[in-house]
Amino acid sequence: MDFVNGLWDAISTASTYQNAALFAGLLIFAASGEWVAERSGTINISVEGMLLSAAFTSAVGYTVTESFVVGICCGVLGGMVVAGVQAEMSHRLVADQFVVGLTLNILILGLAGFLDREIDLTTKTAEKVQIPLLHRIPLVGDAIFDQPWPFYLLFVVVPVSWWLVFRTRWGLEVRASGEDPQAADVSGIDVNKRRRQAIYYAGLTSGLGGAFLLFVQVGRFDEGVVSGRGFIAIAAVIFGGWTLRGTVAGCVIFALALGLRLQLPRYYEGVPTELLQAFPFLVTILGMAIFAKRVRPPAALARPFIRGLK
Amino acid sequence: MMRQGEWLGLYVASVAVALGVSAILIRATGGDSLAVFDALIEGSLTGSGRWGLTLGAAAPMLLVALGTIVSARAGLVNIGQEGQLLIGTAFAVYFGFRIGGPGPFNLVVLLVAGSIGGALWAGVAGVLRFRRGVPEVLSTLLLVTVASQVTAYALGREWLLLASNSVGARNNVSEQLAEDNRLPNLNIFGNQIPSSFFLGVVFAVIVAFALARTVWGFQLRMLGRSPQAAQRAGVSQRSFGMRAMLTSGAFAGLAGTVMFAGGGFQFSNYKFVPGFSGNIGWTGLLVALVARERAMPAIAVAIAFGALRTGSSFVGSTGVEARVTDVIEGLLVLALLVPPAVMFIRDRRRARAATTART
Amino acid sequence: MSQAPPDRTGVDAHTAPTPAVDLRGITKRFGAVTACDSVDLTLSRGKIHGILGENGAGKSTLMKILIGLVLPDGGSIHIDGEPQQIHDPLAAARLGIGMVHQHFSLVDPLTVWENVALGEGSRLDPGAVRKRIGEIGDHYGLHIDPNARVGDLTAGLRQRVEIIKCLRRDPSIVIFDEPTSVLTPEESTTLFESFRDVVAAEGRAVVLVSHKLDEVLAATDEITIMRQGRVVEHLRTMNADARTLARAMVGREVSLRTERAALGLIEVDEADESLAAPAAASMDREPVLSIRHATAIGAQGAPVLDDLSLDVHAGEILGIAGVEGNGQRALGDLLSSLVRLSSGEVSVGGNVISTRTPGAMTAAGVGVIPEDRHDSGVVLDMTVAENLVLMTPQQVANRGVLDRAKLARRAEQMIAEFDIQCAGPEAPMWSLSGGNQQRVVLARELSYAPEILVAAQPTRGLDVGAIEYMTDRLRAAAAEGVAILLISSELEEILDLADRIAVMYRGAIVGEMLRADADLERLSLLMGGAAA
Repeated sequence: MDFVNGLWDAISTASTYQNAALFAGLLIFAASGEWVAERSGTINISVEGMLLSAAFTSAVGYTVTESFVVGICCGVLGGMVVAGVQAEMSHRLVADQFVVGLTLNILILGLAGFLDREIDLTTKTAEKVQIPLLHRIPLVGDAIFDQPWPFYLLFVVVPVSWWLVFRTRWGLEVRASGEDPQAADVSGIDVNKRRRQAIYYAGLTSGLGGAFLLFVQVGRFDEGVVSGRGFIAIAAVIFGGWTLRGTVAGCVIFALALGLRLQLPRYYEGVPTELLQAFPFLVTILGMAIFAKRVRPPAALARPFIRGLK
Repeated sequence: MMRQGEWLGLYVASVAVALGVSAILIRATGGDSLAVFDALIEGSLTGSGRWGLTLGAAAPMLLVALGTIVSARAGLVNIGQEGQLLIGTAFAVYFGFRIGGPGPFNLVVLLVAGSIGGALWAGVAGVLRFRRGVPEVLSTLLLVTVASQVTAYALGREWLLLASNSVGARNNVSEQLAEDNRLPNLNIFGNQIPSSFFLGVVFAVIVAFALARTVWGFQLRMLGRSPQAAQRAGVSQRSFGMRAMLTSGAFAGLAGTVMFAGGGFQFSNYKFVPGFSGNIGWTGLLVALVARERAMPAIAVAIAFGALRTGSSFVGSTGVEARVTDVIEGLLVLALLVPPAVMFIRDRRRARAATTART
Repeated sequence: MSQAPPDRTGVDAHTAPTPAVDLRGITKRFGAVTACDSVDLTLSRGKIHGILGENGAGKSTLMKILIGLVLPDGGSIHIDGEPQQIHDPLAAARLGIGMVHQHFSLVDPLTVWENVALGEGSRLDPGAVRKRIGEIGDHYGLHIDPNARVGDLTAGLRQRVEIIKCLRRDPSIVIFDEPTSVLTPEESTTLFESFRDVVAAEGRAVVLVSHKLDEVLAATDEITIMRQGRVVEHLRTMNADARTLARAMVGREVSLRTERAALGLIEVDEADESLAAPAAASMDREPVLSIRHATAIGAQGAPVLDDLSLDVHAGEILGIAGVEGNGQRALGDLLSSLVRLSSGEVSVGGNVISTRTPGAMTAAGVGVIPEDRHDSGVVLDMTVAENLVLMTPQQVANRGVLDRAKLARRAEQMIAEFDIQCAGPEAPMWSLSGGNQQRVVLARELSYAPEILVAAQPTRGLDVGAIEYMTDRLRAAAAEGVAILLISSELEEILDLADRIAVMYRGAIVGEMLRADADLERLSLLMGGAAA
């Protein structure tokens, strides 16, 4: 029963949700763009690299200008550059998308480590903005409505992603490219262009995510700031069955696991830190193991399209 | 003839671009790029005794790459070798010290336990894939983080891996492997060539032969290229894929074990330490990709990447951060992905032009 | 051929208004091959224009040029008298050119209205698209629920969506690409009859691309015949007869039954005593292949096989007729161990074969020429030699090690026997043409002396010569005692080859008859789902 009580204490503490909200923010930024990319047919494992690249470039942007807005713009740029390499190499040339993504992740990690030592970066978190009334909601109010202002970009990015995919012609073409590229091609859609654009969009939202990571969550850059959370964002898309609603839900659940990781030691003396570190990843794997078979991925997910070749 | 020329040209151009970008980066951060490249060559080849070390560093990369080749040929994207390598090594260390025994026997125990450990960790991803439908590309990645936490946990517990004399020390490390339990070096022309490299070469030959010349390899390739045709032929995706996954993990575990027990390049002085894997799992994976999933070319690529690794320890003296070699490595791999992609499209377009007469 | 062929029709020479489409000297080369060799084509408003030719005659390339999927190397395109460059399908759409594709243009998980809206340039307006679908439905009698998922629709309704998708933009020039493989003969007749009126009334130009003579003869006003990339004939339909058309298409006198069938000439009424004989003889014996109450659920959750039962006897060719998309693919996949039954059973030679064990069908002696050879028939990235032993590599191995010499010998022998055009046994499979890839499949599937051979759409996309080769081989195999299950959406092919005909509709066999008793009207009704 101690375990249950401890868990209850952790769940009923506002700071759990504050932590979770920060993790969820990062995951949702990354996952909403990744969701679009996957709907177009790409599993974009370079999301991890996009986040790290963006965190670094936004740190550089802020160091130079001391402006959060410039920092965020630099972050978006940093995410888009990675997206550019991924998109052009996997959907203009036909290099394997996983191979490109993986190589990019390793390259960015090396670059970040190298440049971080060569450049002095001075950054901090952005100032908090409290939303009147709403922040008084018990337990979760502060977590969602009393945050540094870049946090609120979330409330733009998620609806925009949905709107793009389901309410615009572009989104229709993206979905067609992910489901049946041959049919899309015959209908006059440039499949690989749409896929590249979807990756660029993932670069954009991941860029925001990287800036968010820096200016809202950690305040200071080091090469370990992302450490696998990009992969959790990808897992959230799968967990969510390639729906945006499910993806966001997955992000929140995985973020709660990340948040609980920080809270649980206060209630359990003996829990090994390593288990806590692994906890969110285990939850993610478990989540996918339960749900992966019940959902239907886009039919052409991870399949390259070359006109005239299957 | 024309094709060979095109290949060569493309590869030379790609490498030149990658090195050029690296040089620009070094210049931009105030370093001397020529000095860095000189240091890389001296540290990996021309320095005294260095090429033996380079082969020692190449050996585990080669082993990881061989495992990657097996799983990739079966159409599986196992990219969690870093974690499989860690768990494999942990198994080797645990059973090696538990079972003990005379040198050669213990060495065999190490190698077998390491392979089994790596295989089991890859097997987790395999079960998730074939029973639960979880894409292995993601589960293997996530399991890397879990593996590093699991081994960190084990390293913090005396009943698992922690050396009794290092309890309370700043860093958790395992016992050191006794001298007669280590993989021996062979002295060739004044260089200490680690036997692990020969082990890698032998396995490369075996893998190359098995893939090209055996029924197993034939069916594995068929599975990777056309799961439907394979299923018709009675090659079950589940059992064949699972075996490929286990083999792949076993190679990663073996790679960790030779890092632990092998001579040549010193990974951690015959101890299991936090951060033991040192990105060898990732690098080995890249070796397989650059070698385009073929075993024999992987030997050469592994040596080249091993050279980057040993060379990097000389880079520090030039005043440039040694991590620059990670950047060079990444850029090289990225650039080397271009020629095969270009040639693939060209080949297919030409074939199409020649065969699809009029449609 | 650089000059226009003499215009035998005399229709639009002097009096007629500007033609809707005027192609002059269109040339397209793919490598060494010239797909279109200075082709001239004139399409007039208010007319249905048939383009007839064998597979590979260049008619599809010509149409792809017209809708912007292929860029020509030379020649000019005039639309309503104006010279135009058509770089992509959107440009074609702006010029009022629309095409009804035979395959691959609908995205299953999307709804009808989403599919209809696909590939336009304007802002997405779901309400307007739905409204337009309703209007087109009223106008042409093509009613459909705009919110239905395309994947849930029958083949006939899918074709309807294709047509609406094309008509939605109100094209003044409409191209139908081989429309009848997904329609029953009945449906296609009705479709073109209703179209003829609309076309005349609204002044549209319609192109019907086909390799079937009777279809073109029945539906069109003018006919252009292509052979080997050139226009060889252009005439009025009323002046045409099957024999001349056939001769122009193939370039020589046509006599063999197979060839005539390949050209779409159905000859049901011709009394042919030899037809009934083998079937009757084999019916007494035990069937080699017996499927009982087979039910299988597809990926979308709906049954793809629904209580299907059939028998095939040794030495008999059973033809499975039916409109595409009625579970034929699942039937082929079932016999390739790619589909599991949720109920029912399959037995070969009296033994029940598990549908859950990979390779069980192959092991039991079922050879398959699959509908989509790239799916389970060949592995493009392996060599020709390897593809020739794909199912049974053990036969060229000693203790698990492949015997290279034996493999090469065997491959060379099969390459010679089946006249496979390739650079040698070590050539990669992708370097072969479609017809030669199909020969590799045929050679391999016959090489392990199967008791049963499933041939699913075995002649699709092949030219007349290759079709003849394929059908001869199938007949020879049957004569040697192999039980053959021929699955085809080409009724002519079935009537030509089969001893007995079963009609498949919505995953079940809805009717059966001997070839000798075949009655086109009844077949057509059965294919359309009317109770027998």
